[in-house]
Amino acid sequence: MSFFHRMSRRTLVRAMIALPALSLARKLPDANATDTGLPQADPNEIVEVNGWILKRSDLA
Amino acid sequence: MILDSYEAYRATGFRPKVCILGSGPAGTTIARKLGAAGIPVVVLEAGSREFSDESQDFYRGTTVGDFYFDLDITRLRYMGGSSNHWAGWCRVLDKQDFEPKSWAPDTGWPIRRADIEPYLPEVHDILELPDFRPDMPISDDIRWVQLIKSPAVRFGEKYADELDRSKNIAVVLNTYATELAGDGKRVTSARLWSNGQDAGTFSADYFIVCTGGLENSRLLLWSNQRSNGGVVPNAAALGRYWMEHPTFEGGNAILANYSEFEVDAVNEAFFSPTMAAMERLQIMNFGIRLIETPYAGVKRLIADLACTAPDAAEWAAYQLSQNLRCAAQLYVAWEQAPLASNQIELSKTDVDHAGVPRIELHWKKSELERRTLVEGLKLFGTTLIERDLGRVRLMDWIANGEAYPTNEETAGHHHMGGTRMGTDVTRSVVDANCKVHGMDNLYVGGSSVFCTSGQANPTTTITALACRLGDHLSKVVAV
Ligand SMILES: Cc1cc2nc3c(=O)[nH]c(=O)nc-3n(C[C@H](O)[C@H](O)[C@H](O)COP(=O)(O)OP(=O)(O)OC[C@H]3O[C@@H](n4cnc5c(N)ncnc54)[C@H](O)[C@@H]3O)c2cc1C
Repeated sequence: MSFFHRMSRRTLVRAMIALPALSLARKLPDANATDTGLPQADPNEIVEVNGWILKRSDLA
Repeated sequence: MILDSYEAYRATGFRPKVCILGSGPAGTTIARKLGAAGIPVVVLEAGSREFSDESQDFYRGTTVGDFYFDLDITRLRYMGGSSNHWAGWCRVLDKQDFEPKSWAPDTGWPIRRADIEPYLPEVHDILELPDFRPDMPISDDIRWVQLIKSPAVRFGEKYADELDRSKNIAVVLNTYATELAGDGKRVTSARLWSNGQDAGTFSADYFIVCTGGLENSRLLLWSNQRSNGGVVPNAAALGRYWMEHPTFEGGNAILANYSEFEVDAVNEAFFSPTMAAMERLQIMNFGIRLIETPYAGVKRLIADLACTAPDAAEWAAYQLSQNLRCAAQLYVAWEQAPLASNQIELSKTDVDHAGVPRIELHWKKSELERRTLVEGLKLFGTTLIERDLGRVRLMDWIANGEAYPTNEETAGHHHMGGTRMGTDVTRSVVDANCKVHGMDNLYVGGSSVFCTSGQANPTTTITALACRLGDHLSKVVAV
């Protein structure tokens, strides 16, 4: 089931309204980082993005 | 008995062997132990039975360095001391808090946790605590620990009747010990101020200073200055290595199963690092406290996550749809590295009504502590990922390396160090029995003797150390 189906439309719209406009312009790193010429990134690698402690696969 | 003035006390003809200064958790506990051992003891308490602005005024002082609370707000000066408004959070320092840490100078105690453990049953009775459950590791790095929210015993109220009935204990209110006099071997007398005027001097065989984690240093610094070093002959560390528990909101967490951490009666859970993690990351101890985020806050958090990691936000939104309790604010309180430069000094310009210089507190958080905050939160975040338990977001000021905010909790009102315990007389003030180095009859009670602060609130350990000192003195004085 996709993200949109799991979350009710109303909740999603409300959550988006609560978004500070600035965060729309936040840095969105490449989840796969494959086009860098470097080897495929480890999906379990821990990354810090916009203050979130995530694993790379979360960024997909 | 409890008397309202030094004059009234003098009329009783009571002859104590031991004089305790201060009736907070430390002073009251030691007095009860000595009284129970049949040793006559007087407790001189600067304040009265109730709060008063006049008494609080003696606690005013200044702070230099990082933002800190006003010194007459962060403690209470009347019978029972700061137990009159403590929050009641209880936990004994961890075993690892007593151990030296090669990456943090001046850590390590001359005693081990095992030295105070025999007193914990008594502490549980005094503080009205249920048993602690053992720490539970949730990974090699993070322990799920317990802090108990106790009934917050007000020592003045709880023990007033017992103290009043006691034949061996006299509590004398409105009697401020302004200075001790000593000859470099013994304290010979205490100068008193009672009900607004000088009340002469007072002698006893033994003196125990239990005036609180700021005032112990102030009284000893002033006494030593007046006696030309006759009260604390080895004074290099006196007033130094002062510590607090800096406390800030560090971030948020979205949790897969909030109730997995059987949160306590007030819906909060606590996490601390293992010794191995502290050593690997070269950080101090910390406690991350989970406080449930209200529904509206959860939605904002998920929306924020959606901007960065849509997949993770999808997962989080699912958690929200399954369980409204799925996010927490993370409050972090951490151990301060003991630094000689964090110290209590006597003001050169400002004195109280009795002419005693007020405190000038020099307090700054260090780089090591900033690392503890940042690495601690990251460690917690990594553990939640590895255990598939959730995701953590750091506050912007932490993620962006900005200055500490000044509109937050700031610290725990936990005043530790200043008369720390140790074997090296240049780096400590009291020995393992809380006796001032070089003095035969002067002891210190309270968290000013702490060598390190750990992450736990101090009063459980203060009370355990007070029971231990009470037992020790019962034997020493009986000889
Ligand atoms: C808002 C707040 C919340 C807190 N919450 C917690 C918590 O949840 N958990 C926890 O563990 N700790 C907590 N604490 C800390 C706790 O209150 C202290 O650790 C504890 O009270 C210290 O006990 P003490 O006996 O060493 O000193 P104090 O309680 O400070 O008692 C010292 C006594 O000495 C008297 N005195 C001072 N100078 C003199 C003098 N020269 N002559 C004679 N008498 C004197 C004072 O009037 C006072 O009665 C909190 C503190 C505050 C302020």
